[in-house]
Amino acid sequence: MIGEERKEMKMAKKICMVVSEGTFDKAYMPMIMANTAAAMGDEVHIFYSFFGTKLVTKKANPKLPGMYRFFTGMFQKKMKAVGIGNYMETFQQAKDLGVNFYACSTTMSLMNVKESDLLPGVKILGAASFLKLATESDTTLFIG
Amino acid sequence: MQKDATLDAKGLMCPMPIVQLAKKVKELKSGQVLELLADDVGAKEDVPAWCSRTGHQLVGVEEEGKLFKFYIKIK
Repeated sequence: MIGEERKEMKMAKKICMVVSEGTFDKAYMPMIMANTAAAMGDEVHIFYSFFGTKLVTKKANPKLPGMYRFFTGMFQKKMKAVGIGNYMETFQQAKDLGVNFYACSTTMSLMNVKESDLLPGVKILGAASFLKLATESDTTLFIG
Repeated sequence: MQKDATLDAKGLMCPMPIVQLAKKVKELKSGQVLELLADDVGAKEDVPAWCSRTGHQLVGVEEEGKLFKFYIKIK
């Protein structure tokens, strides 16, 4: 434990994440971090851009990268055994804990993602608005 | 140790013990003591970290083989 910072650490922090890839590993990393941060009382904002954008659509079904994609089901089973649900369950859990989700407006038009394709509660944001959130936050993680 | 409730998180891995812990404390009143059972190695560091961030007080930790028993006093 880092005892010296304990007093300061008690305050709720603001954490931002950028997700630019859509594979299984890049999908779960921010979800697990976000769920943990929210459980610690932090305010969390996740911005999905480029290949990450499909992770906040109703069709989201991330697979492991490359040849590993064939092992996705096996991986999912192992995760279920230790209490981590499927992708949509983790998303719902994050939503219930108050995590904020954003889709990149430019990527949406480049990849023909419509507003109605997005998962409920996902907001559309441009880079300027996200950067405003990021500069005001205590930490920004880039998952890509 | 005296306790008012128990949360059994055995078999669950990070971040599930912490996520369930955060949900469980909302059901409890200030001053009550929650016993958390966990066998994820990460919990050993994660539970004290969660306590220091949320302000709930970790009043005791017991280790029985691979099992950790945390006692958390609700703020």
